[in-house]
Amino acid sequence: MKRIRTAPLALLLAALTMSGQQPPAKPPLWSLRPVVRPEVPANDANPIDALIARKHQQKGLRVAGRADKATLLRRLHLDLTGLPPTPAALDQFLNDSSPNAYAKVVDKLLADPQHGVRYARHWLDVLGYADVDEGMLAESGIYHWRDWVIKSLNRDLPYNQFVRAHIAGDLSPRADDFFATGFLTRAAHSPADGAEDIAFNAVEKVSTAFMAMSTGCAKCHDHMYDPILQRDYYAMKALFDPLLPEKKNLATADEILRHEEVLERWRAQQNVIQARMDVLTKPYEKQIFEERMTFLPKDVEAVFRKDPKLRTVAEQEIVTRYNTVVAPDARKFRDVMKPHETVLYEWTRKGQTELRRDAPTLPVFWTVRADASRAAQKNNIYLGGDRTKKGDEVQPGFPFAPKDLKFEGDRRQVFLNWLTAGDNPLFARVAVNRLWQWHFGEGIAGSPSDFGRTGQMPTNPELLDWLASEFVARGYSMKAMHRLIVTSEAYQRTGVVTKELQAANAAADANNRHLWKFPARRLEAEAIRDSVLAVSGKLDTAIGGMSFRGSDINERRVMSATRTGYYDTRDTRRGIYMGRGSDASMNMMPAFLTTFDAEDGHAPCARRERSITAPQVLYLLNGELTQVASRDLAERLFLEAGPGAAAKVDYGYKLVLGRAPSATERDAALSYLGKAEPAQLTGFAWMLLNLSEFVFLP
Amino acid sequence: MTFSNSLSAAGRRAFLRRMSFGVTGAALGTLWAEDEKILRAGAGPHFPAKVKSVIFLFMCGGVSAMDTFDPKDNKWAGKMLDTINGNNGKPQLRPVLHNPRVFKPYGKSGTPVCEWFPHIGGVIDDIAMVRSMYCHDAGHFQACWEMSTGKRNRVFDHPALGAWTGYALGSANRNLPTFVNMGKPSSPAQLTGGYLGGQEGATPFEAGETPLANLKLPVGTTRAERDRQMETLARLNREFHEQHVFDAEVASRVRSYELAGTLQTAGPELVDFSKEPEHVREMYGVDEPETDEFGRQMLLARRLAERGVRFIQVCHGGAGGGNGKWDSHDDVADHAPLARQTDKPIAGLIRDLKQRGMLDSTMVVWATEFGRTPYSQNNLGRDHNPHGFTCWLAGGGVKGGIVHGATDEIGHKVAEKPQYVTDLQATVLHQMGLDYKRMSVIVNGRPFHLIEEGTGPIRAILG
Repeated sequence: MKRIRTAPLALLLAALTMSGQQPPAKPPLWSLRPVVRPEVPANDANPIDALIARKHQQKGLRVAGRADKATLLRRLHLDLTGLPPTPAALDQFLNDSSPNAYAKVVDKLLADPQHGVRYARHWLDVLGYADVDEGMLAESGIYHWRDWVIKSLNRDLPYNQFVRAHIAGDLSPRADDFFATGFLTRAAHSPADGAEDIAFNAVEKVSTAFMAMSTGCAKCHDHMYDPILQRDYYAMKALFDPLLPEKKNLATADEILRHEEVLERWRAQQNVIQARMDVLTKPYEKQIFEERMTFLPKDVEAVFRKDPKLRTVAEQEIVTRYNTVVAPDARKFRDVMKPHETVLYEWTRKGQTELRRDAPTLPVFWTVRADASRAAQKNNIYLGGDRTKKGDEVQPGFPFAPKDLKFEGDRRQVFLNWLTAGDNPLFARVAVNRLWQWHFGEGIAGSPSDFGRTGQMPTNPELLDWLASEFVARGYSMKAMHRLIVTSEAYQRTGVVTKELQAANAAADANNRHLWKFPARRLEAEAIRDSVLAVSGKLDTAIGGMSFRGSDINERRVMSATRTGYYDTRDTRRGIYMGRGSDASMNMMPAFLTTFDAEDGHAPCARRERSITAPQVLYLLNGELTQVASRDLAERLFLEAGPGAAAKVDYGYKLVLGRAPSATERDAALSYLGKAEPAQLTGFAWMLLNLSEFVFLP
Repeated sequence: MTFSNSLSAAGRRAFLRRMSFGVTGAALGTLWAEDEKILRAGAGPHFPAKVKSVIFLFMCGGVSAMDTFDPKDNKWAGKMLDTINGNNGKPQLRPVLHNPRVFKPYGKSGTPVCEWFPHIGGVIDDIAMVRSMYCHDAGHFQACWEMSTGKRNRVFDHPALGAWTGYALGSANRNLPTFVNMGKPSSPAQLTGGYLGGQEGATPFEAGETPLANLKLPVGTTRAERDRQMETLARLNREFHEQHVFDAEVASRVRSYELAGTLQTAGPELVDFSKEPEHVREMYGVDEPETDEFGRQMLLARRLAERGVRFIQVCHGGAGGGNGKWDSHDDVADHAPLARQTDKPIAGLIRDLKQRGMLDSTMVVWATEFGRTPYSQNNLGRDHNPHGFTCWLAGGGVKGGIVHGATDEIGHKVAEKPQYVTDLQATVLHQMGLDYKRMSVIVNGRPFHLIEEGTGPIRAILG
């Protein structure tokens, strides 16, 4: 995520402010002006291309030709599902000469359940999904939110309803929409939410995700650059102030009925182990007690030696105070026990810890509910963001709200009606800009979660507005927009261009912000890992369920105390299911994810960083993932390709890169392979997985 | 290889992104190069730097000051002390412990040092003690956030001090990161790049045979076989690389292959101590059972400083989770073996830097997340004490042989010249040529200042 891109401007403004000068008068913000649908030619051409072509004409840019079919298929598969095309899909597409062959693939991929998996990961970055986050209350069952997003994208839930569910899914008539409120509850740290984490986080996350406005600074003072006042912040917070975490039991009737029985068994086990512990420790308690008594002042010792039943309240208080000094601790027991007893003691203690950790629980999900008494409370500004310093009272509202709002029923509904209205200039613009970014690597506006003054202006405002109005016109269907975008000529252009074309366009648009060629780019962490597993034949495409633990995440910590049962062992599922998050005392991010720029979800991520680094190369050259996959892929080449080294080279290229090798590539591979003995085959497989092309969206 | 440990991830990501600045900045053309220039120009240096590298020694768990560098007599021993706010906010009366530690004056300055640290005593005239440090939080991880980032908790995702220095000053060696960590920290906070981005976070290095993750060939692959594979791989990559010669990201990948190759040779060289003379290895306690591990880390720290790494953090006693080994709740005598592990290597580092003429430009900081209470917790152990503790500095333009500030006569709270943890940070920044007041950055429209509390650089200890 490019969080610091805007710093130069920001620093300048900061300097101005510090020197006591006011920043210069501000022109109205582009993103708050109404969406104006531009005129487009009334022909069959995709209006996207007409609007891009206008920019090309203005700037004198020439465009690249269409990519070849194999490249297009690989691009579509990786973009829409995050997985490379299979050899069968490649054959089918290459052999389909009908004019709508491409469109058929698009439809097929948009209908593929893996499409939801791919785009859910994009959305979860924006919404700040994490499996673990500094002791969040909703940890258990949070994956249901992730699964809800996958499912909703797959059934093409209209975007306005998608957003409604995230902000007020608890009020939705659809039975499973409450899962989307994981977005809100995820912030809470306790059932009472005393720190008002839900409301504070909702203001900031809702405004960045769905309005591309950063409200965070208005928590303490009026926004320095954008027209957002501190009053607006607390007015918006008042929308969420009534919310409390609400535990939903997801257990079946049968599970609930059997639970008491299960608990009883567990308690019995605890008693057994405690009895074993007592046998070990009781003989030493007197000795330790006597030793500790020597540490105490005489009068305190006297109190300790008194019959507990005869102690006064004041004496009991003394006992409580000194008990931390007196009570025997594990270390002391280890010191005084005989060696063989120490071993038994440690085993028993370990058993106790594990049993406590394995306390049976029923599956739950934490959603939110609007609490009547909280709703009846006044809402105040907190001075400097400090909850102990109440400022003026505020009425519910939000930034840019129309005048004379009437708040009846749940406050969030009033906000949602404004937010999701077709004429809200932010709502559709922000969404289509994100979809565009996920297809082309960059948004039309380059700062997708900041449409404010410190963000970037759209490179093609007409295109952004046309897409926004089209999105509304198409009932907020995200799949319709995907289809529209990927069937554009712009999307189908080749990324491979001649020196002449590059030189001709270099002056006007060297960085291809106007898409005169397709922007090839590195795949995200999850897509790389999923591709490796897919081509080596080991990918488990099962949808949904608990996350699995990255192999390098400390088991002891993850499995401690309350974490039991949150992790699944099926670790060859897609990368979206790889557990991630943050914890003050322990790294919870698998190295693979961080190496390839995935974030931990603590803060929303508007745009994944796409660093290209030596350690990434090293990870794939020498890391465990590639070593295992090379062997699996070699085995696959051996079993599935025809006899002879050449057949294995061809099949390897088809499987891994979705194309045939060129003559020179084939020669190079064959000269390495020799007779294609297993060792060489594994070496060849390793090379395929280490090709630059393999980690790029072409 | 120790890189599979759980803490490698944050750092790895940091390193890659660091590399991406160093390596692909040029490849990505003007866009990144200019960005970088502007960002850095906005940050620093603000005045000529005295210090090129900082070696920040973080003793994880909380070192007791009165058992190490801040002696107290036993006047209060056995008396009850009200511990309000001493134990994570819970009031309680607890007896002050009798302190059996023996202190003796060292050097020309005569600064007293506990018998556990004779070697550090030997370099005491290069050390400025700050006996009046305090922080707010009494929990390990919270205090680690404070000591590392200067802010409480992770509310705004503040970066660690090392990240700030790299961000402000950039890299002096493109092949190495600017912010390195050795040893397991207590908390990811000690490594975080925070809102400055992962590229500014710490890269974990190890003083073993593999300083960096995935540097070593997998088991079963020979160098000769790998060379043959790399050669074929280069041939197979050629067409794609040529086709995308104008694509910045592809061009970067070509360079990242080159750097990966460089690292595979430079990495082992970095940790190859065979050319270090025997007397130098001996100074650090390398090859002695108790001091070998930390000694190697100190030696590698010097080698990293020589190569221009700006911020070298070495965590001692971190468990990668858990409370840190200096957390002596049961018996402060547990400090003794930890002191033995670190005493000689730290003194060796200071002596070695000095004999190489590097001590003036290298600042050694000895820090911990908080101190320990004068009163007992369990039997002979001490509880966490954020109200007054000791950190010290050596080299980098600080005055040697001085003591700054003081705790009260019990050793519970700061009595003179209180210095918040950010004062230590401001001091480090100041010697690196950075004015902490001018270090702010705007994230999502919100200005953040590195330091908002405390009184700034501890000028009294600066030469």
